[in-house]
Amino acid sequence: MDGQAQIVIDKVNHTYRPPRGRPVPALANVSLEVRPREFLALLGPSGCGKSTLLYLVGGFLPTERGRIEVEGKPVIKPGPDRGIVFQHFALFPWKTVRGNILYGLERQGLPRAEREARAQSFIDLVNLNGFEDSYPSQLSGGMKQRTAIARTLAIDPNILLMDEPFGALDAQTRSLMQTELLSIWQRTPKTVIFVTHDVQEAVYLAERVAVMSARPGRIKAIVDIKFGRRDPGIFRSKEFVEKVDELWNLVRDEALKAQEAKAS
Amino acid sequence: MARVEDQAGLAAAEADISQAGARRLDLAFRSGAGVFSVLLLLLFWQGFAHSGRVTPFMLPSFTVVLTYIKNDAIGGDLWINLGLTLYRATVGFLIAAVGGITLGALMSRNKYIHWFFDPIISVGFPMPKIAFLPVIILWLGVYDVAKISIVVFDATFPVVTATLAGIAAVEKELLWSARNMGASERAMMWQIVLPAASPQILTGLQVALPIALIVEIIAEMVMGGYGLGGAMMGASRFANSPGVFAGIVEIAVIGFILIKAMAMIRRRLLIWHQEAAEPTTA
Amino acid sequence: MTAIKTLIRYSPLVLLALLWEALARLNIVDSLALPPLSKVAVAWIDLIRDGELITNGEASLYRAFMGLLLAVLFGGVLGMAMARWRTLDIFVNPLVELFYPLPKSALIPITVLWLGFGDGSKILLIFLACMIPVTIGAYNGARGSEQVLVWSARSMGASRMRMMWDVVMPSALPELLNGIRTGLALAFILLVSSELIVSQQGFGYLIGYLGSTGAYEGMYAVVLTVAFLGFAADRLYQVLMQWLLRWRE
Repeated sequence: MDGQAQIVIDKVNHTYRPPRGRPVPALANVSLEVRPREFLALLGPSGCGKSTLLYLVGGFLPTERGRIEVEGKPVIKPGPDRGIVFQHFALFPWKTVRGNILYGLERQGLPRAEREARAQSFIDLVNLNGFEDSYPSQLSGGMKQRTAIARTLAIDPNILLMDEPFGALDAQTRSLMQTELLSIWQRTPKTVIFVTHDVQEAVYLAERVAVMSARPGRIKAIVDIKFGRRDPGIFRSKEFVEKVDELWNLVRDEALKAQEAKAS
Repeated sequence: MARVEDQAGLAAAEADISQAGARRLDLAFRSGAGVFSVLLLLLFWQGFAHSGRVTPFMLPSFTVVLTYIKNDAIGGDLWINLGLTLYRATVGFLIAAVGGITLGALMSRNKYIHWFFDPIISVGFPMPKIAFLPVIILWLGVYDVAKISIVVFDATFPVVTATLAGIAAVEKELLWSARNMGASERAMMWQIVLPAASPQILTGLQVALPIALIVEIIAEMVMGGYGLGGAMMGASRFANSPGVFAGIVEIAVIGFILIKAMAMIRRRLLIWHQEAAEPTTA
Repeated sequence: MTAIKTLIRYSPLVLLALLWEALARLNIVDSLALPPLSKVAVAWIDLIRDGELITNGEASLYRAFMGLLLAVLFGGVLGMAMARWRTLDIFVNPLVELFYPLPKSALIPITVLWLGFGDGSKILLIFLACMIPVTIGAYNGARGSEQVLVWSARSMGASRMRMMWDVVMPSALPELLNGIRTGLALAFILLVSSELIVSQQGFGYLIGYLGSTGAYEGMYAVVLTVAFLGFAADRLYQVLMQWLLRWRE
């Protein structure tokens, strides 16, 4: 690998142990390196363990076999250096938009004036002005997700872990959010690991796509995406369509396997 | 640059305001209907009592009962009885609330505590715990302590159960987000878990409050002495029919006020919670 | 495997029983106020043998059963009728809301005033009190009847009555059964309470009698019997509920 890797995932195995029933292997010998400030997509069929891998990097699940290191240090618990954004937003429903964003800043012990200023700047960044004092139950799906993103960005993580963040949104909102995420990323570059099962989304957003196999997940292939421009017009360009095709071919067999596994 | 969701959000906010107006109208209508029915009931009561079909003993007229209450109030007895019942029931409820939430929280954190108390809660819940009143009287005498104790005994169970259920239902992503932002393990319970579980915990409290009142009144009826229950039972023993009916009215009013107060507190505390409109029957 | 799990789950109760026995025997707690569990067990057997527990038990359970049965019949019909006929609903609903927060124990002195100390007053008490949760359960259950199911039945020619029986009742069943379960617990509570306060027969009476004559072992025995019966009744009812609702996922 050229350049220093920021995140090293080395021969990681993980078994999912449900409270009832037999343990299921989730990840099998996964190895991957992520470079600083790169946008990497984890693409794969449902159940392939891509979210599990994300949670392991985030420190929410213990690494049982193999090793995961971030900037040379092994991952043992969650921390604000690896901010996470969930598919179902995970906003604190009893706090307002502002309250949610302030929470991480409070944990960091910033003085009050600085906290408020920072929170406001992120509210502005995601265009939620006017809704600072609204509760999540009063917001649309897209607004909730923007709050979640602002909340995570506010703690200034080096690494952004995103678990199918737009999966719960309708198609139009999803499309708008993708563009918005890209523009935010271009303004404040961070390392992003973006989990998705949507091939088009992966090709549009990412610089590299790691394709995962069906359960138990392993890295099947890693594909580079190098497009000059990133506006929505790109969806119709020839290179884009070819790339989507290439990735879809990689994913299709795995998707079928996942379907069959579910049916059995 | 208006965005799709912003406009949708504004529209939703506007709809919210007009919906609130519609809800207020609906509430006024239902309260109106409620008041109307109560008045109708009172009319029936008065009419039936005077119809001659029942003796004044079996059903004293409403006016007689009202006079009785008035005299009681002027004489001061009403306030003494009311105050004592409320005092004991409320103290018992508060102890049960704090104790129950604490126990529920401890049980959710520590599997040994959970193992020990789980069958006690699960077996004790459907038991008519009032059956233990004679045992409590044996241990603690016939004064306030005994009464408050049986209230605590009875009211704790729904609180513990609700707390356990509420805490168990907190989504792990919520907990993970908090850890992600640097929340310490110790802070989690107070900052995240209990607030997230609060809707269910409050429901448990709303169940526990009427239980506290019921049990307090029963305890007073068994032990006698001052208090709404004691006064009522005394009236019954002396064949004081207006006294008994007065007691029912007083207790009904108190019960109603307490439940409404609790509902108001819930609405205030859970203003952030998206709850469906209440069904027409509480 | 599950037998062992159940054992582990309920073993704290065994521990408590042992603790009870130890505390009493070692006189850590005044053994008058807390007689050893073993002596309580002996007293229990005595009460069975001389028939006291049985006769009183029968009297109590008869009252509770009758009161609850009447409440289920009347309350169930009333609740479903309210769900069906709007005018009835408008009139009766506020009354139900009015009586719902009334502590049902307030009805004890009045039933005694009307019907004295015997069976009648207890049955009336339990009937009146349990009507509320049963009616509410039936009402909410019937209201929830899927409109589509009702329409299908009507379009297939079902008369109003037929429809009540074929469609409304089965879909109302879960809520109704839950209302009855609340009524069951309430019945036990009011039964014991009213008998503790004033009675010539029954569990509560027996407890009071044994307590006043200082026969504390016997008193404990009856207290535990009643408490356990309440628990068992609820568990059995749950089994019944599950059987009746077996078509639900």
